[in-house]
Amino acid sequence: MSDEDDIETPVLTEATSILEDGNCEPAKNPESVDQSAKPESKSEPVASTRKRPESKPSSDLETSEVLPVQASQAAGKETVSKDVPQSGWGYWGSWGKSLLSSASATVATVGQGISNVIEKAETSLGIPSPSEISTEVQYATGETHAKENETSSPMTGPFGVFSTISTAVQSTGKSVISGGLDALEFIGKKTMDVIAEGDPGFKRTKGLMNRSSTLSQVLREAKEKEELWTSNEVTMETDKKTHYGLLFDEFQGLSHLEALEMLSRESEIKVKSILNSLSGEELETLKQELEQLKEAFSLAEFCEEEEEEKKGDEDFTKEITELFSQLNVSSKPEKLARARNTAYEWIRTSLSKPLEEKEEGEKQLEAEKTAHINKNSIEDIHAFAIRSLAELTAYSIELFHKTAALVLHGRKQEVTAVERSRTLSQMTVMLCKELSSLSKEFTTCLTTAGVKEKADVLNPLITAVFLEASNSASYIQDAFQLLLPVLEISLIENRTELPEA
Amino acid sequence: MTYAYLFKYIIIGDTGVGKSCLLLQFTDKRFQPVHDLTIGVEFGARMVNIDGKQIKLQIWDTAGQESFRSITRSYYRGAAGALLVYDITRRETFNHLTSWLEDARQHSSSNMVIMLIGNKSDLESRRDVKREEGEAFAREHGLIFMETSAKTACNVEEAFINTAKEIYRKIQQGLFDVHNEANGIKIGPQQCISTSVGSSTSQRNSREVGSNSGCC
Repeated sequence: MSDEDDIETPVLTEATSILEDGNCEPAKNPESVDQSAKPESKSEPVASTRKRPESKPSSDLETSEVLPVQASQAAGKETVSKDVPQSGWGYWGSWGKSLLSSASATVATVGQGISNVIEKAETSLGIPSPSEISTEVQYATGETHAKENETSSPMTGPFGVFSTISTAVQSTGKSVISGGLDALEFIGKKTMDVIAEGDPGFKRTKGLMNRSSTLSQVLREAKEKEELWTSNEVTMETDKKTHYGLLFDEFQGLSHLEALEMLSRESEIKVKSILNSLSGEELETLKQELEQLKEAFSLAEFCEEEEEEKKGDEDFTKEITELFSQLNVSSKPEKLARARNTAYEWIRTSLSKPLEEKEEGEKQLEAEKTAHINKNSIEDIHAFAIRSLAELTAYSIELFHKTAALVLHGRKQEVTAVERSRTLSQMTVMLCKELSSLSKEFTTCLTTAGVKEKADVLNPLITAVFLEASNSASYIQDAFQLLLPVLEISLIENRTELPEA
Repeated sequence: MTYAYLFKYIIIGDTGVGKSCLLLQFTDKRFQPVHDLTIGVEFGARMVNIDGKQIKLQIWDTAGQESFRSITRSYYRGAAGALLVYDITRRETFNHLTSWLEDARQHSSSNMVIMLIGNKSDLESRRDVKREEGEAFAREHGLIFMETSAKTACNVEEAFINTAKEIYRKIQQGLFDVHNEANGIKIGPQQCISTSVGSSTSQRNSREVGSNSGCC
């Protein structure tokens, strides 16, 4: 044990110092983030071993113990914004906001070593100071604040997952800027496009269907831009592998989303016409019932504090299957569970290889070891991470689409629409959490494998993983919201006392 | 990767006529005798080459079960092409064509190109619908007609590609407004096509479009 540490620590220290040197601008941000995390990491560069309890130095244990507390603090702070209503179509707003947060976070960050990226992801709640934010982002953030008056953080309101993710992006972003990377430009462009497109102006009250553009359209456009970009700038197959939008489309996520939108839209039209045909008490009763549904769709459970424990493959499969059976639709989430477990299997292999090797021959030469660690290059890990996120998101949306079809198809139902909504809400939360923890696992892989990489090489990859994870969660939540009209019509059609409209 | 156009197709017809098998044969070049019932709609996509232009076919394979009918109608919107499939060994699937056709015409663009497909041509011994009947129906309703076998892959490529050719022809004639997405056609990220079509075409795993095999 101690031998391992002796071997490992110098490597890490070296890496850390390189990284900190790499961050050529002095730390400017006055946030608590730095006070809590930086000194710690300076004295003990242990972050990259955090996920490997076998070789944990003592200080690492400290870190881990501290984490839950900090995480709960984080959760506590997030509840500040939990009262922001998410009913109705506010989710468009939240989608935009999540991107805004990511954008501002990405740009506003000030230099930090990657060694503490993971910690930061869980502990920091930093608010980018306006003075550090570029003009563009200042505008964006200002908008966020205007819309979300009492929200003191740049996060996404009730979505704890987002807060975590965007904070992580924040803590990794600085060298992205100093590196002047195309990636950021691309992300930024995409983000700004989406912001422009999905501007949460909140003017459209009953939004989606009256909008000229739908979510799938926005995504399609983003994908097309990527296609354009790839065909213009890069023709190598490898580059294609890391384009989330293209991959998402390849897994048919876009198509399922579009199909779900169609079902949602038709249902909404039906609901409207039924509501229009009613009056007086009848209308009021129905409205009240529909209100219950909307509440179930508000995703309030995101605030629910939950020990973030890592789920085993069986746990995940079991949980998602159970939730699905509660829906009482004849669809099974096998594909999703398989994809998720494959991703974790890959991560396990990726992380365990160097360790096993060490046990066999502790006295191995440094170079040899490094060679082994690098077996999966950071590019490989990044590509696989993006691919997995796109795949899981696509399958999640497929599940939602199938659920919508089956709910509409079902003649009789043993489960009420409200019950189904609650289950779906739980499922959404679960899927988003899953994406969040998966992205953390991937970044752990990245930091482990990229321990010798320069920060401006590694950080953008980490940023990209977190960003796409955040986007993935947004897509899933948006898809979830598309189910509302479907369940509304299902509720209405199952009210025997109402005449069919 | 890049394409000049994207066409949305729908595959419709009674349950069990082989819609999903046709799609699988077209996209994956394989045949799977036992299929789960399609729920709502499934998807497939493939590049084809028409007239030297890369065209991406985005195919919506709908559920054939009667009980799904009202749901699958929702998916018709914005389709540029439809494959209307019946089973040559089951007359009732042929008899239902009129109702499918009505549905399709009602819920999608009037310009939609419809290909009538008599599937399972490999089961000649069990044939219940004469080829001529299919041809007559197609003529009467202004459809293109082919008999296919998803099992042997006979005419499967051709069915999809000929539909695309017809859509493309209509575009050339100006019958389709390619800028109106309700027509099920989208222009690809074209700005780059002129410069990179050569490289991206050769790179892409776009399969060579087979010439007419005339096997059926």
